Amino acid sequence: MTRDFRILVVDDELAMRESLAGWLHKEGYAADCAAGGAEALELLGGRTYDLLLVDIKMPGMDGLELLRKMKETHPQTLVVIITAYGSIESAVQAMKQGAQDYLLKPFDPEELILLIAKLARQRELIRENQALKERLREQERTGWGDLVADSKAMRAVMRLVEEVAASDSPVLITGETGTGKEMVARALHAASQRAYGPFVPINCGGQNESLLESELFGHERGAFTGAVQARRGRLEMADGGTLFLDEVGEIPPKMQVDLLRVLEEKAFTRLGGSQTVHSDFRLVSATHRDLAALVRAGEVRQDFFYRINVIAVRLPPLRERDDDIGLLAQYFLLRYGRETGKTVEGLTPEALRILNAYAWPGNVRELKNVMERAVVIARQPLIGKNELTFLQPDQESGPELISLEEMERRHIQRVLEAEEGNITHAAQVLGIDRRTLTRKLRRQEAK
Amino acid sequence: MPEASPRVLPVQAEVVPLGRVNQVACAVAAAHIKALLGLSSQVVQAAPEPDFAYLPVRGQHDAAALMDYLAKRRPSGVIRVGVTEADLCLPVFTFVFGEARLGGGVAVASLHRLWEGRYGRSAPRSLAYRRLAKVVCHETGHALGLEHCQELGCLMRFAGGLTTLDRLKMWFCPACAGELSARRAEPFSV
Ligand SMILES: Nc1ncnc2c1ncn2[C@@H]1O[C@H](COP(=O)(O)OP(=O)(O)OP(=O)(O)O)[C@@H](O)[C@H]1O
Ligand SMILES: [Mg+2]
Ligand SMILES: [Zn+2]
Ligand SMILES: [Zn+2]
Repeated sequence: MTRDFRILVVDDELAMRESLAGWLHKEGYAADCAAGGAEALELLGGRTYDLLLVDIKMPGMDGLELLRKMKETHPQTLVVIITAYGSIESAVQAMKQGAQDYLLKPFDPEELILLIAKLARQRELIRENQALKERLREQERTGWGDLVADSKAMRAVMRLVEEVAASDSPVLITGETGTGKEMVARALHAASQRAYGPFVPINCGGQNESLLESELFGHERGAFTGAVQARRGRLEMADGGTLFLDEVGEIPPKMQVDLLRVLEEKAFTRLGGSQTVHSDFRLVSATHRDLAALVRAGEVRQDFFYRINVIAVRLPPLRERDDDIGLLAQYFLLRYGRETGKTVEGLTPEALRILNAYAWPGNVRELKNVMERAVVIARQPLIGKNELTFLQPDQESGPELISLEEMERRHIQRVLEAEEGNITHAAQVLGIDRRTLTRKLRRQEAK
Repeated sequence: MPEASPRVLPVQAEVVPLGRVNQVACAVAAAHIKALLGLSSQVVQAAPEPDFAYLPVRGQHDAAALMDYLAKRRPSGVIRVGVTEADLCLPVFTFVFGEARLGGGVAVASLHRLWEGRYGRSAPRSLAYRRLAKVVCHETGHALGLEHCQELGCLMRFAGGLTTLDRLKMWFCPACAGELSARRAEPFSV
């Protein structure tokens, strides 16, 4: 890490330059020397330096003048003033002009090591967060709106979405809770020829059957008690656009039959009505459940399943989108920062590591909530591990509750792997005899 | 007569007392270079008092000047490690326990600050010698081309004070040890 932090030592005294540069080399930094301001500017023209250590008193162009000149051309380069007793005033002036810090000559090597390490870390943070921001900017150019998808897995998903957007075939989006199913459904709609038509979502879970039915089909006045006015249903509203059936696995089998008919005929009647209503919509459904299993269990009709599942889009859980975690975190941070008027700039590498190690059972929604909370409690522009403490107990993806037998099986596998499959050695490590181990292995294999 | 094949000498170390220096300390230094760096090493004849390196303004000796002195007429393949009782400094640094030219075959170490003990008393001899051995091994490592190491306890870790120095073990971490053995096998590396 230190190697890509390049330092330029500017001092008119040869002994100073050499001992400082020599010492920086031992610390593993790349360091060059310049005998004065003019030489420094020349070197700056040829390559980029992360840090300049500049003496103030030099014949010709002095440290202050060099600072002024280089801050125009190399605003990113950090500057630390190294000065002898007696030039404190100019050192203070240099700080006002943008120098990061100053050291009085001669100084403790320990002081220098700490200062440079701090600056190198700062520089690295700025670089990393700039890279994330750059990637976010690229994301904006994808035309997927707010949807962040840079990982391989999600790029593949979005490629599929773009391919199938133009057709009118029903799409089924599956994925764990919070993986962005609704968001992808909206992106699909936006990429389709129906983009100027309505996107009409309806949540089929958690509603009682008759309510869901009237929500979907609409009703005529007096169709049931309380139906004081006629109402259009979602099927009707979606005409010319996209109908999004969320939690499609919760639709009762009887209604599945009705819906199936609507899908075939593109026509239906309102509850309590007799007039045929035509509606031309594209169907997109979503579920976090295993529909095929529900079909087997008889909760979902097979014909209905086939009808809605013409094109299947599977959203990977967040833990399978490594490249997206940092990017999404940065995205939410900047967004909440903007919304709350707080200055947040990014994440420390440590925070990033914590986020990447976490299992994210609640997927993107959980990450979004975590970031919102982090921004609220943040006291500095960079979100660090302090803002994420509430995440850490679960870091190892939570204690999985398994049986003793399963535990034994896994432990034996681990020991066997460590002993490269040698059963005699593994048995020794496990403290049982060879035959017992063989017996256990055979029993496990039989399962 | 068959041409004699050139004799390839392994890298050696010489401990050079700079003026009047505690002889036991020099012997300890040589022994540790041998044991920890695997170089054959011996204490050679003392050099004259290094008054030329004295900086009246600082009241200290310039480590860089001492290294220039040791580098003069240094045969290649020989690392010269000066040991002094004088307090050492560098133009930019307030003081140093020791100093070396990275891969340059010369190093110096000073006993001066190693005598400091707890509660204002002076350190026991054995502690001061141990400290010197650590400084000498560290600087000899530099002289062979090793950089600082971040491994806790490793002798190539930078120690800017006695507390840190005392925390170092008499030990090169595996990475540094590997580097050392590669460099000492290469006779013209220094
Ligand atoms: N790729 C993404 N980029 C940006 N924000 C996202 C992304 N995926 C999900 N989100 C955000 O995460 C939250 C959850 O997304 P969404 O509601 O689409 O998930 P879902 O899969 O429908 O979840 P559930 O199964 O619980 O209904 C939303 O606030 C959404 O804005
Ligand atoms: Mg949803
Ligand atoms: Zn060192
Ligand atoms: Zn080491």
